[in-house]
Amino acid sequence: MKVQKLIRDVLLVEWFRGLSVTFRTMLKKPVTRLYPHVKRQPFPGFRGRQALVRDPDKLKERCIMCLRCKTVCPSNCIIVEVGKDENNARVLKNYSIDATRCIYCGYCVEVCPVNAIVLTEHYEYLGDKRSDLFFTKEKLLSNWDEFLANYPGDAYFNKFWRPPGMPEKMLTPQKRNEKPIEIKKKNEEIA
Amino acid sequence: MGSMEIKDIKEQILTSQNVCILPETEEDLETKEMILNMGPQHPATHGVLRLVLKLDGEEIVDMEPHIGYLHRGIEKLMESKTYAQALPLTDRLDYISSPANNTAYAIAIEKLFGIEAPIRAKFIRTIFCEMSRICSHLLWLATHSLDIGAMTVFLYCFREREWLLDLFEMTVGARLLTNFARIGGVRCDISPEFVQGLREFTKVFPSRVQEYETLLTKNPIWLERTVGIAQISAEDALNWGLTGPCLRGSGVDYDLRRDCPYDAYPYVKFHVPLGKNGDVYDRYLCRMEELRQSNEIIKQLLDQLPDGQTVADDAPDLVIPTPPRQVEAAGSVASAFITLSKERKMINTGDLYSAVEVPKGELGIYVVSDGSGKPYRLRLRTPSFVHISAMPVLSIGHMVADIIAIIGSIDIVLGESDK
Repeated sequence: MKVQKLIRDVLLVEWFRGLSVTFRTMLKKPVTRLYPHVKRQPFPGFRGRQALVRDPDKLKERCIMCLRCKTVCPSNCIIVEVGKDENNARVLKNYSIDATRCIYCGYCVEVCPVNAIVLTEHYEYLGDKRSDLFFTKEKLLSNWDEFLANYPGDAYFNKFWRPPGMPEKMLTPQKRNEKPIEIKKKNEEIA
Repeated sequence: MGSMEIKDIKEQILTSQNVCILPETEEDLETKEMILNMGPQHPATHGVLRLVLKLDGEEIVDMEPHIGYLHRGIEKLMESKTYAQALPLTDRLDYISSPANNTAYAIAIEKLFGIEAPIRAKFIRTIFCEMSRICSHLLWLATHSLDIGAMTVFLYCFREREWLLDLFEMTVGARLLTNFARIGGVRCDISPEFVQGLREFTKVFPSRVQEYETLLTKNPIWLERTVGIAQISAEDALNWGLTGPCLRGSGVDYDLRRDCPYDAYPYVKFHVPLGKNGDVYDRYLCRMEELRQSNEIIKQLLDQLPDGQTVADDAPDLVIPTPPRQVEAAGSVASAFITLSKERKMINTGDLYSAVEVPKGELGIYVVSDGSGKPYRLRLRTPSFVHISAMPVLSIGHMVADIIAIIGSIDIVLGESDK
């Protein structure tokens, strides 16, 4: 036993065994990507940049000012301003998200009864100033347009609008019946 | 001109009497104890841990850990959030195994509310717990071996960890801060692609663990650095409140997954690895075996995965109504709110302690509820905090270089200890 150990120590058996593993890995394909040149498409439902959904028919935001997103937000980063128009009806004056405070939990997307808000799969965004990351209503809508313009598929549906596995009765009718938003049709309309 | 100046200086040094003090007595020859401040910005302290070491030469005479550089007041913050809103905060405790923390919190609050998650949700939660255990142990192995000097293992571990993080992203849309569980179930059901991807992982993973072991387990350098370092007896480990692999490395057979099973652990069979000597090497062996056991658990769970919904029917909505807390005001107002929430059969008053085996040890959650939608007090018993307090016992008598191995072997995350 001791002799065996001595031979092993002298011949560096364990060392060569370890080096054989590293040598074998050298012959394999690398697992890394050259990031700015090669990009991986994020998985559907990735929680990235915030956006307000532009309704394909009305071409404006879907929000109905129920304030559920504002109530559920753990970091209080959603600001909703509700005003009244000349007919005394409620209108959305402003809707802003402070992206520097947002923790990307996705609760707002899940509780919204009309699927008006979404965390898009877009993740490469930055700002030189804090105000660049303070998204107002116009910025949130343009985020949505920008995201759809670069989206590779034909139709878009966010996973958290109707989380898989959730019982039907816990969802609002609009969430239950939501169809994927078709992208090509919308682009034609704008053109 | 320059050479003249240097010559002058040399002469000054030679003639000066203050430059060199010759030892006159034996006391002058003794080494003085030195206080060395290690951290908080030190790459090997795994975050922002500050250690004040008292050294006699290279040997550690005394040491005092200082924590709190990553304190965010999570416990206090939770008192101002509803039960659902406090869940994302648990991600930020042990940020390399978020799903396990989420599950621990969800189980505690489910017990408080008196609801039970559906069986499929329990299975999915357990699968994610075990995946996060593998993630956490891989990151531990990567950094621990890098600290000691084995760089290759670091790269290999990140290769497998990336695979699991992709699977997390596939299901819940986030890689690290998953916010995965939900009071009364999970937020998203898993897809067939996920099951297929995880099956491929479980097939490949044992051979990968074998690779790491080939590089380390019998490596003479590794043995020199780990065997016999930071030994702690079973009795001491129990007295210091160590849990998880640190306790099992000393030979104490204690695992919450088997001893008081929660979620889907009653449905699986697994073996709890134990060490003998309680040194750095035994803790390493324990964790390596746990990697294999976690892989086996995932396999068994995937085979038995039942169908059904993933959120309980009586699970509370994410928007939990919160009546204003008026405990000091007129009693009738406060009681009116409490009866209101009781009628909805949502929130019970009272307190409870619930503990779960997270990768680092035992994560206990003690919650006091006053019937409003927010916890009155929420105390987190985090394993890293307890483990750091045992650092002096482990390290006194060892060399400065061993501190690195000891910090690595107790597997601390400062986000968890500072809260």
